[in-house]
Amino acid sequence: MTVLLLAGLLSACQQAPPPSPPPPSPSSQNGYGATERAFVELAIATDEQALKLLDLADRPELEENRNVELAELRKLLDAPYVNNHAGHDMPGMPTDAEIQLASTSPDALEQFVHTHLTESLEVVRSAGSAITHPPTAEVVKLMERHRTAELAAG
Amino acid sequence: MKKRLFHIAAVLGLIATAFSIPVAAQGEPVRVAEFLAECPISHRLADDPIVLPNLAGASHFHDFFGNHSTNARSTQQSLEGQTGNCNPAADISSYWVPTLYRNNTAIAPTGVTFYYLGEGVNNPGAIQPTPYGLKIVAGNAKATGDADSIARWSCLHAGHVNPSKNFVTCPAGTMLETYLDFPQCWDGRNLDSADHKSHMSYPVAGGCPSSHPVSVPKLRMVLRYPVNGSTAGLRLASGTGQTMHGDFFNVWPRAEMERRVRNCINVVIKCDHNGNHG
Repeated sequence: MTVLLLAGLLSACQQAPPPSPPPPSPSSQNGYGATERAFVELAIATDEQALKLLDLADRPELEENRNVELAELRKLLDAPYVNNHAGHDMPGMPTDAEIQLASTSPDALEQFVHTHLTESLEVVRSAGSAITHPPTAEVVKLMERHRTAELAAG
Repeated sequence: MKKRLFHIAAVLGLIATAFSIPVAAQGEPVRVAEFLAECPISHRLADDPIVLPNLAGASHFHDFFGNHSTNARSTQQSLEGQTGNCNPAADISSYWVPTLYRNNTAIAPTGVTFYYLGEGVNNPGAIQPTPYGLKIVAGNAKATGDADSIARWSCLHAGHVNPSKNFVTCPAGTMLETYLDFPQCWDGRNLDSADHKSHMSYPVAGGCPSSHPVSVPKLRMVLRYPVNGSTAGLRLASGTGQTMHGDFFNVWPRAEMERRVRNCINVVIKCDHNGNHG
């Protein structure tokens, strides 16, 4: 075992390439970078679409939470907002077809609200591990708290 | 048999010379500036390393071709040294498109070819190798109709069906296919841009504009899906057929790309998968 380890270490030393300078990162350390910008634009698109679905449901606290999030997200924008995801089948973002169906079926409405919460919670958690810009990270935490509480409330 | 063919080729060549008709006779190179890579589907993920970098699971679904490692966190550094499923194996670039569905069933393309072409500019001799690490998005994922779409859908083995920017009804025994041409003029500085588009441009009147002066091979993606009959229930993860778009992250080894541009594109010769010609 020791021999194997030593052999491995030696081989690792021999094969180690010379250190190269780190590549320029699209998300500058702790800055508002490409990942933050992409998340904020996606979250605005998702929340705006979710509001159309929640308008059909009797869950005023959810609408309130989405509106609070939208206000915070818009403060983070560093350029005019563009919806890059309209009409797309994005996780957590109800589609127009789903909203249409939910308007005629209470069961579908309940299911789509639940799916919005579970899927967007996954996206928010993914963002939580990728985003370093502190103000954006704060909004991510707020969105995670909202969804966790909303799911717990049924 | 071989001798006989050679004889016919020689005669054809003589006839062609006599009448000054360019004929691709046996053993003679085809005068089309082209090399290619065929890369079947590798994997499917709700990731997009260009549009939603580092945000795993945050995108609509994509079918990924080529490099097996591509995910939301992919970078030039993470992709290089990995393996892919392209023919030639040397091409470990990443390519991806929105997943096609019939209702809620995903349908993978069964034919996936990436052509690199010298057409679109008047001087293929000036085409430069595609820069290592270049990211290109083609098509309009936000298209709302024909007017803002460059998608093209047609039927393999059914040329009488008119191409359309949205899905077309293909006769039984044929396949739905889609073509997408990527912009081929580079600004010479940026491997990506905030909107993922403005560092690239399409040529104007046979040349690259002064804002994007570097001419690179035109990437043409051709996908064939095992789909025919009614278009009912067909949709892309990004919406209608008009929203077809493609993403390309170039990690062709530099020497392999340079050799093909020199031997196939600049001299206007059709090459095989290995970048060679007869």
